[in-house]
Amino acid sequence: MSLFKPAGTLWLLAHEIRLAWRGFRAGRAGKGPGALIGLAILFGFACLGGVMIALAVHDHDIPVNPLSVAIAGLVSLVVLTLMLSQTLSASAEALYERGDLDLLFSSPLEPRRVLLVRALGIAAGVALLFLVFVTPLLLPSVLYGHPAWAGLFGVLIALALIATALGLFLAMALFALIGPRRTRTVAQVLAAIVGAAFFLASQYRNLMGEAASESLFASIARSAYDGRLVLPPVAGLPLRAMLGEPLPLLGLLAFGIGLFWLAANALGRRFSDAAAAAQGSSTRRARGVTKPVAAFAAGAFRATVRKELRLIGRDAALLSQVLLRVLYLIPLALVLARSASKVEAAALAGGAGIVAFMAGQVAGSLAWITLSAEDTPDLLAVSPTPASVLWRAKLVAALIPVAIMLAGPVLALAWFQPLTGVLTAIGAGLSAYCCAQINVWHQKPGKRADFRRRRGASWFSALAELLVAALISGATGLAVAGLPVWALLPLIVAGALVMALRRTDDQIAKTLRMAG
Amino acid sequence: MTEALIVRGLNKTFAKPAVSDLDLTVHAGELYALLGPNGAGKTTTLRMVAGLTKPDAGEISVFGIDARQDPAGAKGLIAWAPDEAMIYDRLTPLEYLEFVAGLWSVDPAVARTRAEALLAQLGLADEARRRCEGFSRGMKQKVALAGALIHDPKLLILDEPLTGLDAAAARLVKDMLQARVEAGCTVILTTHILEVAERMADRIGIIAGGRLLAEGRLDELRARAGDGTGTLEDVFLQLTAEGAPA
Repeated sequence: MSLFKPAGTLWLLAHEIRLAWRGFRAGRAGKGPGALIGLAILFGFACLGGVMIALAVHDHDIPVNPLSVAIAGLVSLVVLTLMLSQTLSASAEALYERGDLDLLFSSPLEPRRVLLVRALGIAAGVALLFLVFVTPLLLPSVLYGHPAWAGLFGVLIALALIATALGLFLAMALFALIGPRRTRTVAQVLAAIVGAAFFLASQYRNLMGEAASESLFASIARSAYDGRLVLPPVAGLPLRAMLGEPLPLLGLLAFGIGLFWLAANALGRRFSDAAAAAQGSSTRRARGVTKPVAAFAAGAFRATVRKELRLIGRDAALLSQVLLRVLYLIPLALVLARSASKVEAAALAGGAGIVAFMAGQVAGSLAWITLSAEDTPDLLAVSPTPASVLWRAKLVAALIPVAIMLAGPVLALAWFQPLTGVLTAIGAGLSAYCCAQINVWHQKPGKRADFRRRRGASWFSALAELLVAALISGATGLAVAGLPVWALLPLIVAGALVMALRRTDDQIAKTLRMAG
Repeated sequence: MTEALIVRGLNKTFAKPAVSDLDLTVHAGELYALLGPNGAGKTTTLRMVAGLTKPDAGEISVFGIDARQDPAGAKGLIAWAPDEAMIYDRLTPLEYLEFVAGLWSVDPAVARTRAEALLAQLGLADEARRRCEGFSRGMKQKVALAGALIHDPKLLILDEPLTGLDAAAARLVKDMLQARVEAGCTVILTTHILEVAERMADRIGIIAGGRLLAEGRLDELRARAGDGTGTLEDVFLQLTAEGAPA
């Protein structure tokens, strides 16, 4: 078959799979079996859950009525947006990742074939992510009484193909509209917003306040129960496909494949042009070249803070990750600020605790970036500036964005409930400082690009951060709830933990030398 | 004569010895070329001098400062520019120079003036506000060189400074280095381009297997290697062949 011959699509696909597999093996090299055992245990629990579901639903069928159609439609939409978030980000990154792209585009291969294989890789990656999660839960039901429900696997594959096509179209549209320099950042930010879209939609009531009398989903459910929900016939397509009805399932798959094929074929040439343009994106002249040079920062501390803030602000992937966490924080902050005007402080305890927890998590992530993911450690090592000065500057640089992020909500809170505002600010500040400081004491050199996988790269400090943030978050909640004495207990435990984790500058330097 | 660098009994072993009992003296204000085949120990030696690699044994003195006892004092006088440019892709050259100047605590106003002058000298004035991510290897090398010079070092250590530079850029860098030496700066460089060492260096050290095989002016090395008429390439090949482990 022509597809299998050298330079054919399947040949290229086999090459990509081999590289991906070797990349996975190389990534696992030298690591113990701990992560695999953990995954196997999780998988076992999921299978157990799947068996229990299968036993419970063995004699039941899912009715096709407006409510189930609406739920299936909404779930499909949620999954599609989550997938789109992944595929948009991956499509934009595919333009900038050099890898073997130059080799492929310099060969006689058709650009559309290269894009097709890259897009297949993106679709397979996102489909696999959901299939791994769904399979152990669904497969027992498929094997025990409901074989037609295997249609859900087909729906997930169709959604992955649709999401990939949409991601490609969106990435290329962004490239055409705003140019190569901004596309990477905007695509990552957009991906974060798309990923959080349904969470924000589910927080409709919290965001809109009294303007919305009930949540979006509750409103849909009520309409369905009351018989007021009239849906077009096409709305039933996802549910029928999930339940294994051949025509809807084939229709959905055909639509997914068609859209995917259209995107890969239509965008092939544009993709190669865009990838070439992305490589030279910064060769464009910056505007205002002749304007006077701004004042330089005085001293190593200020220069380092300024440099780290610049690098944080210019890291598209990092921005999207932090933005995602902030997006999840917005509804909570709004609820806190709104409730503060009329509710007893005790009702705000949970929210204040979560704000403190999130502050710690974001600060920890940023501190890992500034401290462990230093691009040129040798430059810092040859300078006469003491390492401790540089570490302090990097810690401050990690805390500044968190302070800016929390300033608005905390000030709003303090306006209505001064004591609650002060306690939340103290809790969030303490949590952020401790989590960032743990990253100073337990630096583990890594690459900026590994940010998303940093939990795996430095599990010890990640676990320590999590524990300390949770304890301080608990203390903040208890203090806001008017139980200051009880708040001391988790605070003391957190303090003891932080003291146990403390390291001297010499110990840190010694560990870093050993790591190097 | 003031000595810019004195190295005595320097040793470093990784899986096998990289530098063995190395003695080296570089006079202030001279351009010293350290030559050697791949894996000879040149970079390891220079990294130890720059404070990047801890020696197993030995002494390093930079303008009289014991670099092992007072590393910050020694580092304040040194600039280190490796073959792989130590720059940040997401910073512009100006922002990079601001950061490096900060690390060496250069007065901000002085640093700003120097940064503009260096970028202009290196032909990077028009690129001063563009991020380095799209720069060619040669341009990145030039930015790194500007970074090495921003604090006006007394001892400039360059590992393969001409790698990746085109003819015009290489000439520019060589002229800059000569000008620095004339102004009193001491330069130590490694290079595989023997003609560069032949033309530019006041003295040359030849290293192989972590040991210094020979050191001196070109005519001294020629005399030592044979009839005194050969090129540096002839001398280098003869000495490294003699010094190579059996």
